[in-house]
Amino acid sequence: MKEFSLLMTASNKDQLVLSNFEQIASVSDFDRTGNADTPSSQRGPAPLLGKRGLLLLSWLAPVTLVIVWELLAGAGWIAPQILPAPSKVVHTAIKLVTTGTLLNDLGVSLLRAIAGFVIGASIGSALGILVGFSRIAEAAIDRSIQMIRAIPFLAALPLVIVWLGVGEAQKIFLVALGVTFPIYINTTLGIRQVDPKLIELGRIQGLGPFELIRRIILPGALPSILTGVRYALATAWLALVVAETIGAQSGIGFLAMDAREFLRTDVIVLTIVIYALIGIAADAIARFLERRLLAWHPNYGASR
Amino acid sequence: MIPLASVPPSTQAIEPPSVVVSNLRRAYGDRVIIRNLNLRIERGEFVALLGESGCGKTTLLRALAGLDPIQGGRISAPRRPAVVFQEHRLLPWDTLECNVSLGLKTPNARERAAAALGEVGLGERLHDWPRNLSGGQAQRVALARALVQEPELLLLDEPFAALDALTRIRMHDLVRELVDKRRPGVLLVTHDVDEAIALADRILVMRHGAIAFEHRTNAAHSASISRADLLAELGVLSHAAA
Repeated sequence: MKEFSLLMTASNKDQLVLSNFEQIASVSDFDRTGNADTPSSQRGPAPLLGKRGLLLLSWLAPVTLVIVWELLAGAGWIAPQILPAPSKVVHTAIKLVTTGTLLNDLGVSLLRAIAGFVIGASIGSALGILVGFSRIAEAAIDRSIQMIRAIPFLAALPLVIVWLGVGEAQKIFLVALGVTFPIYINTTLGIRQVDPKLIELGRIQGLGPFELIRRIILPGALPSILTGVRYALATAWLALVVAETIGAQSGIGFLAMDAREFLRTDVIVLTIVIYALIGIAADAIARFLERRLLAWHPNYGASR
Repeated sequence: MIPLASVPPSTQAIEPPSVVVSNLRRAYGDRVIIRNLNLRIERGEFVALLGESGCGKTTLLRALAGLDPIQGGRISAPRRPAVVFQEHRLLPWDTLECNVSLGLKTPNARERAAAALGEVGLGERLHDWPRNLSGGQAQRVALARALVQEPELLLLDEPFAALDALTRIRMHDLVRELVDKRRPGVLLVTHDVDEAIALADRILVMRHGAIAFEHRTNAAHSASISRADLLAELGVLSHAAA
């Protein structure tokens, strides 16, 4: 868990650095030519590989890996009980989709994730807004929340099972628990980081407290809140994997554990791939939200 | 009644003043920043306030803007003043139109914002983001946002300090033009003696929390003041001028 969150931080940082770098690159571009629309191919000295060349290169390693894997499995060098051929996994996927079980399990898993996310995000943002605006609320509840946050939420799993059994409630609770804290922290942080000079300006322009929140504080906190959403989506998914692995009667996790009983590694690999794909999809949704809602922001804006 | 502001009778008869400050006192704990300050600014009058750093001129402006509480005296202004700060303070998440109409409660707020942006020469960029503006353009939007409120008192807190020399001169012309047209009373806080001479009808020099020197630049009976005189008032001995 700890490793996972560290990884998340690192990859997020990379993206930040990358987007800053791109910005710097486009600025220097502007300076040199005096034209912001200069195509990137004209930038700097002639590159060794073009943009398409680099794109192809980036796909070279993963594609090669899959091909080698396929060849080794096809030649019988890897036992199907250890790792099935990629083609076998695709085959299984098609079979499970046509019989309807896969889509059903996927639906169940998504529903759990969404329910847990909505509950966790509501609690996290409500508490975050409260603490962000009120020093009294901060004094009253922030310390308790920080103490609970110090517990890796998956460590609470045995207790959650004692409380709620291994039904839907336990799974949704665990997801909600994982989602609440990133949303809470980033909401509070976002509200606190709003430029006090802009709030002062709002007062000068005659905004009332409600207008001040709607026009200045919440938009100012939004980048931070969306970062929280992105973290929370990753956490929600992780929580679901763990929750579904224990005592589920349906869902992607159930599919995997069921397949384990029969050494169906093709199904297990398939569920892993599905988890990965949904993780990517969740991140894409978060990025889309950032692009749409933060169009004004120099680090996110689509129209650069 | 208020000794520092002897006003030409013509304007006095027509309109009430933009602001009257009497015996103002501002203090942070024991430290008194402004003591017994009196000031009267007429509608359409452009007053520049000079002074060394820390003399209390920004404190005075903030008190007039209603941003800080006062510890004594009275500020009477008919309406909430508009302020342009050294930084543009545009909301980065709002388009220029929304920025200018911020806090405008009239039903035709959008049209008025568009007209105000047109006045500062940015009528084409209603839906642009603040991040695409140069420093001078952003400051023009801030000026439009202040003036669209139709203030009776306009407070300018070193609004041109961060601009390059050419942009500053253009801004001077624009501000003078818009102030002449809309006729708010103006208090310009500045470090720049030349700016004060170029723009103001009246120049005040503040020292130790009080107004220490006053000069009318446009009145026929008063001789024009030299840059060196003003600098001397600010405690700078100008050898070049002597």
